[in-house]
Amino acid sequence: MKAVQKNKNGLASIFSKGDIFSKLSFLIMGLANIVRGQIVKGILFLAIEIGYILFMVKVGAHYLAKLVTLGTEGQGMVFDESQGIYVISQGDNSMLILLYGVAVMVTTAVFVFTWRTSICSGELARQLKLANKRVPNFIADCKELFNSNIHRLLLAIPAVGIIVFTITPLIYMILIAFTNYDAEHQPPGNLFTWVGLENFKMLLSASGKLSATFWPVLGWTFIWGFTATFSCYFGGMFLAMLINSKGIAGKKIWRTVFVITMAIPTFISLLVVSTMLGKRGIINVLLEQWGFIDSFLPFLTEGLWAKITVIIVNLWVGVPVTMLMVTGILMNIPAELYESARIDGAGPLMMFRKITFPYMWFITTPYLITNLISNFNNFGVIYFMTGGNPSNINFFKGAGKTDLLVTWLYKLTKDSKDYNLASAIGIIIFIISAVFSLIMYSRSGALKNEEGFQ
Amino acid sequence: MMNRNKVVIGLNFKYFSRAFIATVLTAICLFLPFVSMEEKSVNALAVLTGLFGSAHVGKMTIVLAAGIVMAVLSLIFAVINYVKPSKALMRLWICSGAIQCFCYTVLMFGTKVMVDGTGVLPAKFMVRDFGFGYWIGLLGAYVALWFTMKVAKVNPGYIVLTILSVIWLFPILWILLTSFRAEQGYYVGYFIPRGFTFDNYLNLFKNNSVIPFARWWTNTFIVAVCWCVFNTLIILGTAYVLSRTRFQGRTTLMKAMMVIGMFPGFMSMIAVYNILKGVGLAQTLTALIVVGVAGAAMGYYICKGFFDTIPKAMDEAAIIDGANRWQIFTRITIPLSKPIIIYTALTSFLGAWSDYIFPSILFGDKQASYTVAVGLKWLTDFRRIDANYTQFAAGSIMVALPIVILFIALQGFYVEGLSGSVKG
Repeated sequence: MKAVQKNKNGLASIFSKGDIFSKLSFLIMGLANIVRGQIVKGILFLAIEIGYILFMVKVGAHYLAKLVTLGTEGQGMVFDESQGIYVISQGDNSMLILLYGVAVMVTTAVFVFTWRTSICSGELARQLKLANKRVPNFIADCKELFNSNIHRLLLAIPAVGIIVFTITPLIYMILIAFTNYDAEHQPPGNLFTWVGLENFKMLLSASGKLSATFWPVLGWTFIWGFTATFSCYFGGMFLAMLINSKGIAGKKIWRTVFVITMAIPTFISLLVVSTMLGKRGIINVLLEQWGFIDSFLPFLTEGLWAKITVIIVNLWVGVPVTMLMVTGILMNIPAELYESARIDGAGPLMMFRKITFPYMWFITTPYLITNLISNFNNFGVIYFMTGGNPSNINFFKGAGKTDLLVTWLYKLTKDSKDYNLASAIGIIIFIISAVFSLIMYSRSGALKNEEGFQ
Repeated sequence: MMNRNKVVIGLNFKYFSRAFIATVLTAICLFLPFVSMEEKSVNALAVLTGLFGSAHVGKMTIVLAAGIVMAVLSLIFAVINYVKPSKALMRLWICSGAIQCFCYTVLMFGTKVMVDGTGVLPAKFMVRDFGFGYWIGLLGAYVALWFTMKVAKVNPGYIVLTILSVIWLFPILWILLTSFRAEQGYYVGYFIPRGFTFDNYLNLFKNNSVIPFARWWTNTFIVAVCWCVFNTLIILGTAYVLSRTRFQGRTTLMKAMMVIGMFPGFMSMIAVYNILKGVGLAQTLTALIVVGVAGAAMGYYICKGFFDTIPKAMDEAAIIDGANRWQIFTRITIPLSKPIIIYTALTSFLGAWSDYIFPSILFGDKQASYTVAVGLKWLTDFRRIDANYTQFAAGSIMVALPIVILFIALQGFYVEGLSGSVKG
C-alpha cells in the first residue's frame, strides 16, 4: 500500500511506469479500472467523462468563448426579413455569460480533480494486480467510505455546498471587480465588459468622488475597529473582574443580568436602542422631561454624535460577550501569584498591571485580532443603529458618515447596484482581513513556542 | 489617627476618617444652595418646606424628604460609630448612605416634575440649575457610601454593579413595558405606560393582521430547526474528518477554507441570488435553508478545536478492537462531545433568528416569506414605526424571550465553546 501512496505523487511517473491501459486511461477515464475488474467504478468514471464532454460541447464551450468579451450584441431592434418588421433582439446578457462562464470553469476544475482521481485509482488497481492482491470491487470500495475514506463520505455534501454556493459566487464576484458592471451597465438591457483595474484605480486614486468617499470610510472603519475592539475588551475585563472580585455575593445573578443583553438577538437590541435614540425617541423625551436638555440631542443624526453613539452602544452589546469569555480565563490565573504580590505590598492597580493584564493579554491576543477583524466587518451595529447615516453630500451615492466598508458594500449592492465597486471593496476588505490574520498567525506561532505563562 | 487604638473585628479603620468626613460634608450640603434659578438660591430644606407648604406633595417630594432624612441619619450613625464603633451600627450607616445615594440620584431625574408648577421655584427647571449644594451632596453621598463599605469590609463593587445593571437593563425594560402599552404610537412622553394591555401580542397573531408576524415567526422557526439539525451534522462531520483523520490535501483544504472565509460573506450574495433564481428557488424559504446548510462547513473551526483535545489513544484502541472510522465517529467521538454539539446546535439555531443580510436580499418585498429579523427591521422604517411601534416591541419580546431562556439554560456550554475559540 505504501508504495502506491508514494506513486500517487506524480501523474508523470504513473504515465511512464504504467502499461498501455494505464496510459490509455489518461484519455479514456476508468479504462484501467475496467481492465482490472473494477467494472462499476470504471464505468462511473467513463460516464463522468462522457457527461462532461457532452456538457462542454453543448453549452460549456459556448460560454467559455463568450467570456472573453462578455457579449457583443446589446439588446435592440433587429429587422426580421421573414416577417418584414422590426423585432426586439434579446442580445447577450453579460451577467449570465459571466455566471455560466464561471460555472463552466468550476465544473472543469471539478472534472480535472475527478480525472486525477480516476488515474490514481487505476494505478492503484494495477499495482494491486501486479502484487497478486485482491482488487477491491465496488462494494468493498463503498465499505471503505466508512473507514479509511471517511473524509470522502463526510466532506462530500459540504464540498458540493461550498463549491456551488460559496466558491462559484465568490469567483464570479471577484471577476466583477474587473468589469464595469455598475448602475449604468445593467443587463439584460446593457452589456458590461472587462475594464481591468479601473475600479481599483478610481477607488484608490487621490482625486474624484469615489476616492473622496473611500478614504474617509476606510479611515472610520479602522478607527471604529480599534475603538470598538479595545473598549469592549477592557470594559468586559473590568466587568468580569468586578463580578469575580472577593466579597461580591450572587456572582451568578450579576452575570445573568448582563448575559440577558447578550442573549437577545443583537439586531433586536440594536433596533430597540436605535428607536430609543431617535429624534423623538424615549431618551430624548426623558432627558427633556428630566430637565437635562432644552432641545433634542442629535444622537444618530450628526456625524460625530453618531460615531460616538455607535461606539457606546457597541459597548452595551459587546461588553457582556467579553465578560463571559474573560471570566473563565480569570479563574485560571493561579491564586498564589496574587497572594505573593499582596505579601510584597502590591495594590490592586499594580496587581492588574503586573499579573492580570499580562496574563490576559498573553492568552487573548488571537481572540483580540479575530475580534478586530470582525469589528472591521461589523455590519450589524452600524446598519441597525444608523444605517450608515447621517449622509454626506460629498460622498458617492448614499454613503454616510458612519458607513463602514461593509455597510457601504451592502448599500452599493442592494440600493445602487454598483456591483463592480462593491466587489472591489470586498477584495480590499479581504486584503485587510488577510493582513491582520497573518499577523495573528505569526504571533500565535511565536506564543506556542513560549509554552505557557508560568 | 483618631481611631488608632480602636479594634473591632470585621472592621477596617483605615478608611473611617474619609467616610466620616464625606458624611459630614453631605450633611452640611443640606444648608448650601440646592437650586439656583434666576439669581435665587434655595437650599434643600427650604425646597422641602416650600413644597410641603404648597400642598403639592408628590412622589418626588417624598424622595427628597427621604434623602434629607437619610443624610441626617447618616450623620447620626457616623457620630455614634465614632464614639463606639460596632459592626451592626456600621451596617446601619451603610444602609442609610445607600438609601441617600438612591434618593439623590433619583432627584436628578425627578426634580423637574417635583418643582414645576408648585410656585416654590420659577418654572422650567433644568438639571443645570442644581446648585453646588446638590452636586457636592451627591458626590459626598457616594464617596461616603464607598468608604463606609470599605470600613465594614463590604465590597464597594456593588455600587458600580448596581449602576451598570440599571444601564444595561434600561432598554430591555423599556421594550418590555412598551410591548404592554395600551397607547399606540412611537412618541410618548413617559417611561411607564398609562395603560397595560395584551392586545399588542394578540394583534400580532390575528389572522387579518397587517403584519404577518405569525408567518415570520414560523418561517424563522422552520429555518432555525433545519439549520440546527443539518448545520450541526455537517459541522460535526467536517470537524471530525479534519481533526481525526489524515488524508492528502487536508491542510490545503483547511487553508483554502480560511482564505475563503476572509472575504466578506455577503459580497457574493447577488451571485447566490442569481444561482438560486436559475434553480428556481428565488424568494423561498428552501433557498434560505439550502444556502445556510451549504456554507455551514466553513464554521468547523471551534468544533475541530474541541475534537483535537480528545486523546488519539481512544481512536487507536477502538481500531484495534476492529472498529472502523465511522463507528469511532458515531460511538466514541460524538458521545464525548456533548458540550460542543450543544454549542454548535445553539449557535446554528440562534443564527437563524439574527440572520439579516441574506434574507433581506433574498426576499426583497415578499413580506410573507420574511424572517423575523427582516420583518422587524421593516417595521421600524420611519413610514411604519408610528403605527406599529408597540407591536414591534411585542414582536421583539416574542423573539427574544424564547432565545434568552434557551441561552441562559445552556449558558455553560456556550462559555465552553467561547473559551474554545480563545485557545486559538
